[in-house]
Amino acid sequence: MHATFPLPDVEWEPTRELWAGAARGELRVTRCASCARLVWYPETPCRFCGGAALVWTTVSGRGRLFAWTVVRHAFLPHFAELLPMVSGLVALDEDPAVRLVTRIVDCAPEELRCDMPVAVVFRPLRFAGVAGEVVAPLFAPAP
Amino acid sequence: MTSGGWGFASELEDVSGAVAIVGIGDADFSKASGRTTHEIAAQAAERALADAGLEAADVDGLMWVPFSGDQLDAAAFHAHFGTSHELWTSTRGGGMVWAGSAPYDAALAIRSGRASVVLNTFSVAWATQRPQMVGGPGHVHAEDLFKQNLEVPFGWFPQPVYFASIARRHMHEHGTTHEQLGAIAVACRRHANLTPGAVMRDKPLTLEGYLASPLIADPFRREDCCLISDGGAAYLMTSLERARDLRRPPIAVLGVGVGNSRTGAYWSQQGDFTSTPQAFAAPGAFAMAGLAPADVDVLACYDPFTIVSLMQIEDMGFCPKGEGGRFVTGDRLHFDSGELPYNTHGGMLSHAYVLGIAHVTEIVRQLRGEAAAQVTGAAVGVYGGYTGPQASTLILARH
Repeated sequence: MHATFPLPDVEWEPTRELWAGAARGELRVTRCASCARLVWYPETPCRFCGGAALVWTTVSGRGRLFAWTVVRHAFLPHFAELLPMVSGLVALDEDPAVRLVTRIVDCAPEELRCDMPVAVVFRPLRFAGVAGEVVAPLFAPAP
Repeated sequence: MTSGGWGFASELEDVSGAVAIVGIGDADFSKASGRTTHEIAAQAAERALADAGLEAADVDGLMWVPFSGDQLDAAAFHAHFGTSHELWTSTRGGGMVWAGSAPYDAALAIRSGRASVVLNTFSVAWATQRPQMVGGPGHVHAEDLFKQNLEVPFGWFPQPVYFASIARRHMHEHGTTHEQLGAIAVACRRHANLTPGAVMRDKPLTLEGYLASPLIADPFRREDCCLISDGGAAYLMTSLERARDLRRPPIAVLGVGVGNSRTGAYWSQQGDFTSTPQAFAAPGAFAMAGLAPADVDVLACYDPFTIVSLMQIEDMGFCPKGEGGRFVTGDRLHFDSGELPYNTHGGMLSHAYVLGIAHVTEIVRQLRGEAAAQVTGAAVGVYGGYTGPQASTLILARH
């Protein structure tokens, strides 16, 4: 594990632009340079066409809550003070086959519904005992 | 819901009737025991040999999977048994999906004369190793750099969190309920209560007790999740012809199928979030065997979580997709229901978390008529293996 686990390693090249974009207030994902489909996670070759190159693109940050769980047990000690924590998947409006792993904030767990509209908010992630913070794309009910 | 294009079946040769399982060995199943994976696998191998009435020198094929600790590879086999003969070897053995597909690779090796008696073993010591593991059995996931950077920071870790999300979506799409998930946990616990050596043998569970248990990751309770155990098992395979000369009744391999996801190794991106690649594995296995789900007397599926049992029961065709919750309600999965006896040793939820290998030895025991929670007249048994982007179906029958 890298030194700031469970924070992301913002220097790891395949996902570096996600964190750089979040710090600027932009939601960035990858698109295949050959077939133009959104490809997530940013792995090559493209799973649709075999293309070798991905390019980063900015998306609207709007989507639907695809699935979630209310985490109540500290599966990692770092999570303990965040509990209960809503962790789940958001399907992007631009392509619902792309599901971002995220946390849902600003919403009581009992208000959550599958497919409810959500929008990105950029918030710092911090974990007890880990130095620093990283701004990350979280989601909240769409206004 | 997307479907169809998200996965495919591996193309397999017809091996129906080519091999039989002629010996099984269960290692001791336990909580943290201080044992090594190597010791556990060797104990299972010794017991499988004793069961079959064979010697280590008779084994000329060995299967394992390089996974979590020292498995019983060729060097370890020879060191343990004091042998030095040549072995056909394959690392497409072990537990999980390979506990179901190893008989296919063994059949090809036996048919082509590269081996005549093949031993497959798998062991795990995660209960002992747990204090050194990040997120327990999640450790291997935490080491994946995409998960480390795109999932863990958001608390989507470890496996209970992935599968609780899948269960939530299944509830949304199909109306599946807590009580239906609980019915699976209760059936498995009842079977473990009847099974000597099961880790949860002395701990009964009622549906009321299940529903009163606290949520750990909604909609999951602790009872929806597998144990963390030390243990393992082994099985020996040979040609059906040679099997007839051995001491135990041959259990024939009638069908094998392997299904694969096209959408990669990450649960978050699976093309059909509430299905497993069993949808692609099972049809080929049943076709190879010339059987249908209705012919199955006893079923055992890789069951890290209740929802994984439910999805595989649907995906293998025991009920229509989405009907799994209603299907498992009541006592349908109990060994004495006369319907679909399921994980009759207790499965990974209540017997031991040894990643599927003990499911296969249990099916063999059922087909011999020697199980603790014996299904009356069991003649056809099926194992469903699962490893996220892959699944396997193994159809066995009393010969």
